[in-house]
Amino acid sequence: MSLPKLATVWLDGCSGCHMSLLDLDEGLLDLAAQADLVYSPIADAAQFPQGVDVTLVEGAVSSQEDAARLRLIRSRTRVLVALGDCATTGNVPAMRNIVPVQRLLQRVYVEGADAGAAVPTAGVPPLLPQARPLHEFVPVDVHLPGCPPPPKAILAAIGDLLHGKPPKLAELKFG
Amino acid sequence: MRKITIDPVTRIEGHARVTIHLGEDGEIERTQFHITQVRGFEKFTEGRPYYEMPGITARICGICPVSHLLASAKACDGIMAVRIPPTAALLREAVHCGQFVQSHALSFFHLSAPDLLLGMDSDPASRNVLGLAARYPEIARDGIALRRFGQCVIERIAGERIHPGGIVPGGMAEPLSQSARDAILKELPEAFAIARRALDLYQSILDRFAPEIESFGKMPSMYAALAGPAGELRLYDGRLRFLNPDASLAAEIDPADYAAWIGEASLTDSYLKAPFFKPLGYPAGAYRVGPLARMNVATRCGTPEADAEQQRFRERFGPVVESSFHYHQARLIEALYGLERLRALLEDPRICDRHVRARAEVNSPEGVGVIEAPRGVLIHHYKVDDRGAIVWANLVVATGHNNLAIGRSIEQVSRAFIKGTRIEEGMLNRVSAVVRAYDPCFSCSTHAGGVLPLRIELYGPAGEKLDEMC
Amino acid sequence: MILKTKSISIRIEGELVPTREGKTILEAAREAGHPIPTLCHLDGIADVGACRLCIVEVGGSGRLAPACTTPVQDGLSVVIHSPRLAAYRRMIVELLLAERNHVCAVCVSNGHCELQAMAAALGVTSVRFPYRYPALGVDLSQERYVLDHNRCILCTRCVRVCAQVEGVHVWDLMGRGIHTCLVSDLDQPWAEASTCTRCGKCVQACPTGALAEKGKAVGEMVKRTEPLALAAGRKGARA
Repeated sequence: MSLPKLATVWLDGCSGCHMSLLDLDEGLLDLAAQADLVYSPIADAAQFPQGVDVTLVEGAVSSQEDAARLRLIRSRTRVLVALGDCATTGNVPAMRNIVPVQRLLQRVYVEGADAGAAVPTAGVPPLLPQARPLHEFVPVDVHLPGCPPPPKAILAAIGDLLHGKPPKLAELKFG
Repeated sequence: MRKITIDPVTRIEGHARVTIHLGEDGEIERTQFHITQVRGFEKFTEGRPYYEMPGITARICGICPVSHLLASAKACDGIMAVRIPPTAALLREAVHCGQFVQSHALSFFHLSAPDLLLGMDSDPASRNVLGLAARYPEIARDGIALRRFGQCVIERIAGERIHPGGIVPGGMAEPLSQSARDAILKELPEAFAIARRALDLYQSILDRFAPEIESFGKMPSMYAALAGPAGELRLYDGRLRFLNPDASLAAEIDPADYAAWIGEASLTDSYLKAPFFKPLGYPAGAYRVGPLARMNVATRCGTPEADAEQQRFRERFGPVVESSFHYHQARLIEALYGLERLRALLEDPRICDRHVRARAEVNSPEGVGVIEAPRGVLIHHYKVDDRGAIVWANLVVATGHNNLAIGRSIEQVSRAFIKGTRIEEGMLNRVSAVVRAYDPCFSCSTHAGGVLPLRIELYGPAGEKLDEMC
Repeated sequence: MILKTKSISIRIEGELVPTREGKTILEAAREAGHPIPTLCHLDGIADVGACRLCIVEVGGSGRLAPACTTPVQDGLSVVIHSPRLAAYRRMIVELLLAERNHVCAVCVSNGHCELQAMAAALGVTSVRFPYRYPALGVDLSQERYVLDHNRCILCTRCVRVCAQVEGVHVWDLMGRGIHTCLVSDLDQPWAEASTCTRCGKCVQACPTGALAEKGKAVGEMVKRTEPLALAAGRKGARA
């Protein structure tokens, strides 16, 4: 009987939620025994595979590429978990939403440059007008708030989901 | 002309894409290095009270929030025009050491050891920390334990492991209790043992990587790092030194004057800007930062074991170590330094004193905070109005300084390893591995989110796709 | 001659609860050990029924009424907890979170915020309504305190405590609907509001990080509301 397939992804986040997962310390190895990590930024899978059971997605959706990736992930995942406040509420990345994108890019790349002052356009994805939470793009099955969510809460939720049970979400708060 | 795209680069923090252009003859023409996310912290924090900046900028990065907290707190100290209490300075440096240990442990064990121990050409499906654990369980446990040690230091001194709230403008929010101090001291011997084992292990396998050492950014360059009055390694405070490729001193400045010496260039094909040494202009003024740069710039580390290792490092690779492959060893030497320095700080009789916070209002219209983050020089520079609202912020983040060097290293590795019309997975992994050697933090350097994984596509002269690898 | 208020009884969740005329359902319920969730209520100052978290089902029809402003009546039956009420309370919290910019992670009241605690208690882990992300400002003019409109939920506890306990009425609401906002005196920067005595009661009364002491880093603004109730009681400020 093969192990359930687990994936993790980061979009417009700081990787703190992934670090919280790593804060399971040795518990990470126990988790590895319960699931097959088929895609993750800390692994070398080239493409997001088909038939994933549970995917944890950290970070808000901030660029067109983020949105496209999220839609692909949704189509290949049974249970999608929004991991952390950025994925759930927009959080700090969404603080840029009060500034029009062009003003933001001008400040960083034109006013903030001593050479080559220009907004990058080649080989980089356009920013969306706003950085927004995952559920505004695709249906999300579970939200794990926190910045970051505590490791034990992540483990408890994954553990339940991998066994096809609804996750216990006690004691989770934003922030 | 053919084009190979590596999308994403895996086992790094953040998103990066590499494009490799081949000429008709199959030789590398040029390479491009794209960072594909930007969040705009420098703009959206305008209007926020300055004392919120440490908490906000911590969210630039989940691996090194302590770096941003410290640099930001120092910039706020400047706005308040305070000198923080001596115990606060000791505690800030101690939590910084804890951060160095956990961050370098992550980089070595979780992110790069799969290449170094399982092999650059090994099966991608298991070439990760879990695959490492399956094959070398003791080494994986060492890595997890060393990272946990560093995280626990951060938690005990600053409140939480990730985005801790205890580093504040004016000092620290809480003093350190005797029991927390004793707990750390009790765990130190095991951490030392792991760090020593890692250095021994690494040096024992180094011979396997002769081709990589020759092509992973082996190039002369300038280096920049903080240093003490006699050029000693400094992580929290110091003067900023720029070293020429021949190891002569190009400049030594007060870090608060960085703007007169460091410029930032915008690139057309990356959201990551490229800092450069202003006297030489862009792009001639490229320089490297981080562990390799610090080992080159520092006349000595200042702690016995790290000094001995730095000596060994120089004896083996030269007075100025050029190959970026050697970032790995420099990182391990710094982990050892971090542990030694941490012990010295905890043994200081003042470490548990209760007065750890200076309080003041806005007394200066701007503040600059510069530290050595695990990945290199980190600068936070804020200007405020007389009410304390941020009116302008500039962040020059560690990995950003290495932008040009990473780009050049990618080109060098591509030329050395990518041949012909078929892309072997191991070739592309080596391109990714040179990026990993720098232990980049792209969320940090673009103060923006986004990490682009690496996907590689090979295109023929007519634009037809010849091969693809992700 | 002192007139005593009449003893009556009501039913809460079916249980007979003795109480007195003149009390609100909220008071009677709390005194009987049945707390009802609230945000705009503050002990010692008049209730206004602004947040609607305290809605309960009254009478046989299950009609909704705000407990804080609904007086008890002899024989009234009240339901405090039901799936319908839980759903409405979650919706209210979600609407509040979507309306302005509540970034708990970097807020001065992180860990000590009544809105954050209410969301956790009600099991709100996401907001179904699209976030508005309005561009709102921060008033840093006053030397000791700061007002961040992004964190304000327009509960008016600050308005009432300043008017009823300190007695100077610095704060009030201006505008209507989604454009409603808090203003000091005649919509002046706080430092220029000449009626303000800098007592700081509004800061302590505020349930979120909207009003805070300057210089507090993330999560450092811990507030105390009991002294306000005490001061109000001594002053006889209940309106």
